[in-house]
Amino acid sequence: MSELLEVKNLSVSFFTPAGEVQAVRDVSFSLRAGEVLAVVGESGCGKSVLCKSIMKLLPQTSKIKSGSITVNGADITAYRERDMHKLRGKLFSMVFQDPMTALNPTMSIGAQIGEAVRVHQPRLSGPALRERVAELMTLVGIQNPKERMALYPYNFSGGMRQRSVMAIALAGNPSILFADEPTTALDVTVQAQILDLLRDLQQRLGTATVFVTHDLGVVARVADRVAVMYAGKIVETGTAEEIFYDPRHPYTWGLLRALPALNRGRDSLYTIPGMPPSLLHPPAGDAFACRNAYALAIDYEEEPPMFPITDTHYAATWLLDKRAPAIEPPVGGGGYV
Amino acid sequence: MKRNRMVYYGEKILVFILSVFLLSLAVFYVSRLAPGDPLVSYYGDRVEKMSPQERAWAEDRLGLNAPIHVQYARWLRDAFQGDFGISYKYKMDVVEVISGRIGNTLLLGGTGFLLIFALSLLLGVLCAWYEDRPLDRIVCKIGTAVSCIPEFWLALVFILLFAVSLGWLPSSGAYSVGKSGDWGDRLHHLILPLSIVVINHLWYYAYMVRNRILEEVRADYVLLAKSKGLTKKRIMFRHCLRSAIPSYLSIMAVSVPHVLGGTYIVEAVFSYPGLGTLSYESARYKDYNLLMLLCILSGVLVILCSMAAQIINERIDPRVRGQEETSEVTKL
Amino acid sequence: MSEEILLDVRHLTHVFPLTKKIAVKAVDDVSFQLRRGEIFGLVGESGSGKSTAARCVMNIYRPYGGSILYKGIDTCDPRAFRANRRMLQTTRQLIFQDSNSSLNQRMTVCDIISEPLKLQKITPPRGSLRAEAEFQMYYVGLDAGCLDKYPAELSGGQRQRVAIARALAMEPELLVADEPVASLDVSIQAQIVNLFKHLQQEHGFSFLFIAHDLAMVEFLCDRVGVMYRGRLVETAPTAELFAHPRHPYTQALLSAIPVPDPRRERNRRLLEFHGESLSLAGALAEVSPQHFVLQEEA
Repeated sequence: MSELLEVKNLSVSFFTPAGEVQAVRDVSFSLRAGEVLAVVGESGCGKSVLCKSIMKLLPQTSKIKSGSITVNGADITAYRERDMHKLRGKLFSMVFQDPMTALNPTMSIGAQIGEAVRVHQPRLSGPALRERVAELMTLVGIQNPKERMALYPYNFSGGMRQRSVMAIALAGNPSILFADEPTTALDVTVQAQILDLLRDLQQRLGTATVFVTHDLGVVARVADRVAVMYAGKIVETGTAEEIFYDPRHPYTWGLLRALPALNRGRDSLYTIPGMPPSLLHPPAGDAFACRNAYALAIDYEEEPPMFPITDTHYAATWLLDKRAPAIEPPVGGGGYV
Repeated sequence: MKRNRMVYYGEKILVFILSVFLLSLAVFYVSRLAPGDPLVSYYGDRVEKMSPQERAWAEDRLGLNAPIHVQYARWLRDAFQGDFGISYKYKMDVVEVISGRIGNTLLLGGTGFLLIFALSLLLGVLCAWYEDRPLDRIVCKIGTAVSCIPEFWLALVFILLFAVSLGWLPSSGAYSVGKSGDWGDRLHHLILPLSIVVINHLWYYAYMVRNRILEEVRADYVLLAKSKGLTKKRIMFRHCLRSAIPSYLSIMAVSVPHVLGGTYIVEAVFSYPGLGTLSYESARYKDYNLLMLLCILSGVLVILCSMAAQIINERIDPRVRGQEETSEVTKL
Repeated sequence: MSEEILLDVRHLTHVFPLTKKIAVKAVDDVSFQLRRGEIFGLVGESGSGKSTAARCVMNIYRPYGGSILYKGIDTCDPRAFRANRRMLQTTRQLIFQDSNSSLNQRMTVCDIISEPLKLQKITPPRGSLRAEAEFQMYYVGLDAGCLDKYPAELSGGQRQRVAIARALAMEPELLVADEPVASLDVSIQAQIVNLFKHLQQEHGFSFLFIAHDLAMVEFLCDRVGVMYRGRLVETAPTAELFAHPRHPYTQALLSAIPVPDPRRERNRRLLEFHGESLSLAGALAEVSPQHFVLQEEA
């Protein structure tokens, strides 16, 4: 598999009246064609900013401070709006958290999908356009597309709206799909359907997907690889199996242990103590140190580098240093339930 | 469905008639509460020399001696037959008095309104496009400053500048003496009052358009539109403007009376023979019948405009339009 | 948990008129009981009527039909309500899903927590209103430094704690929480749910917990009711419900809970569920002790 998207040492900051908020700090990752990468973290960890900064959808108060974004071998870091709108939709496109607000309430669903189609095939019109729109709607699992085309977003349920948003996102056959918490605002049963749809689309169309979520629980179903983010940094990355069966970073342990499925029969749910640090003034050393029961003295002084565990599995914690004491991980090993 | 519409419009018309009736009642009573002598406007200075008998006879002749509710009932009966009484001051049918003037006001107010509408849309879109860049900032600052200047003061300054000092434009009236049919002359007279009306109201509406559009620009669906690869131009015109226009149209419809009210002041300053000067006089001279008809005309205008606003909204916005069908559709 | 029934909802029905002719039955003949000191979870998807039911319980909506007995008082009866207004208003408290909009943005945390005491003219047991607010803050795990902050300065989890502190300041006997964790991160959800459990053990209040997903309910609640399209389709003690779900919708809900195990999860097929064809007629029937399922009468 070839590298489709390569992000190297990306740092993104917001310049607010209170000062510089370092939302993404020195993040590197890559995405291969046709794989699903899940980016997991608590709200405010910069996972959403990361996606939007790649698509250049951030407001003007933000700035890419350093690093590079390479797509299909082309460095797009310095691309301006004019160049970006040619890439959006075709090379990558995005699905948003809240399908209630992501669709234009004054345009019919068919018109909004059709508009996305015509960006890429401007000559298409009339019956051919309708055909293509219907095809897209069928692809995302909307039945009776021809009748529903004329409906407006308010006629649709949350799940149907999210499917429509996905149809729009897929209109240009993008190579990369960013899905920013696509299931958070939906009901549980609908969430499962959308997750299956994401997986199914990725297998049928081969679209590489970056799936952003705060819920490690839903990741197991869709992701090939997982990146765990904390305070603007990726702290652990590996295949889904490695993250769930052999997690190495204390934060990943914490996220896993907090899942209700792993707390069956216990008296209280496990929670990670404390709060994420402010990204206005990120602490020195490991940002997770003060919430970490396994923190070492060095965690408060020096940031841990990414230690390789296997070819695909990396984690940024001093516990992996050869001088660190051996610790029995509190979770992992599979066979949870 | 068809029946529903009929009932719907029937209800609207009923509400309309009721509001006009209530308005006429209120104006009738309130105008009579104000101090002053209506006979003065009819008989002029002669009133002072009248004997009590003559006064009584005069009041009886104008129908002013009966109790107020009887007067109102009489007025209402006549009004239904199209007779709104005579103007005390002009001593002719009030409908005739008004029809002689209404054209001037419509010309000033109508063109003013259209200009405000078009220019504010243009300016609003421009400002939204260049949000927080120099153009936007300058326009917003000028707008705030200008809309704080009172209309009559600005009008006086314009008269001083363009009519007195430079002598380019006439300072008063709707046309030069003896040239009432000459459109060029009319336009020439229209320029100054029109520019005052436009300059005074434009900014407020332009600012509103700008903010409505920016509100839309910040909406989530713009992110989706961007991510599907649309250009900024298309997003601005096809999405943001389209969503912003229904509410703008309805605001503009409601503000027709507002703009027209502004022309009243401008008319007074420029001695422009329109309804503005007329209403001012009629209130001042207790010309009851004229005042009634003018108030009712403005009232009807206000009510019609707000109804128009509502209907426009329902036509354009699918959410409002579709409310009655929603429940069936979601079951699909 | 005692056997005393604190809240008895009988055949509750609520209808929202959509237009003059069409109306939506949001809650349709729902009956459940809440014992003193019990945590009852009401679960269902959006639009299932769970929030409407809660709002009827809290007298926010006037039910269209049925009755709600709280301590034997029919709260839907305006007369009975007026006669017991003070008791009803102080002993029942509500927490909303979106603490961002349910807390007044222009009041400090201290004012928000102490306002109900002020309104009900209760002498604060700890001297001043501020001391009382401070105590409640400490109790829900916030430090006193937050007292003078505004809701906008707090994180979602902290705001929800403030909402809880505000409700607890009245020492309620019945706490109703309408999706209190739905808009929070999973890790924060766990903290809030732990807090609820802990507080319930301390105070012993009865708790109506409303959620759209079963994951947290399993951990927190004694008994669970599942709602679907306005109907209560199944109610059972938590362990029993999770072990032997009977109604197809409950089974679908349970199947939708993600399993944090990639190999198993990828091969697991979700239960197909077609709500349209599901009949919601009939009545609740007891299939095993305390376990009721909606069944069509034979």
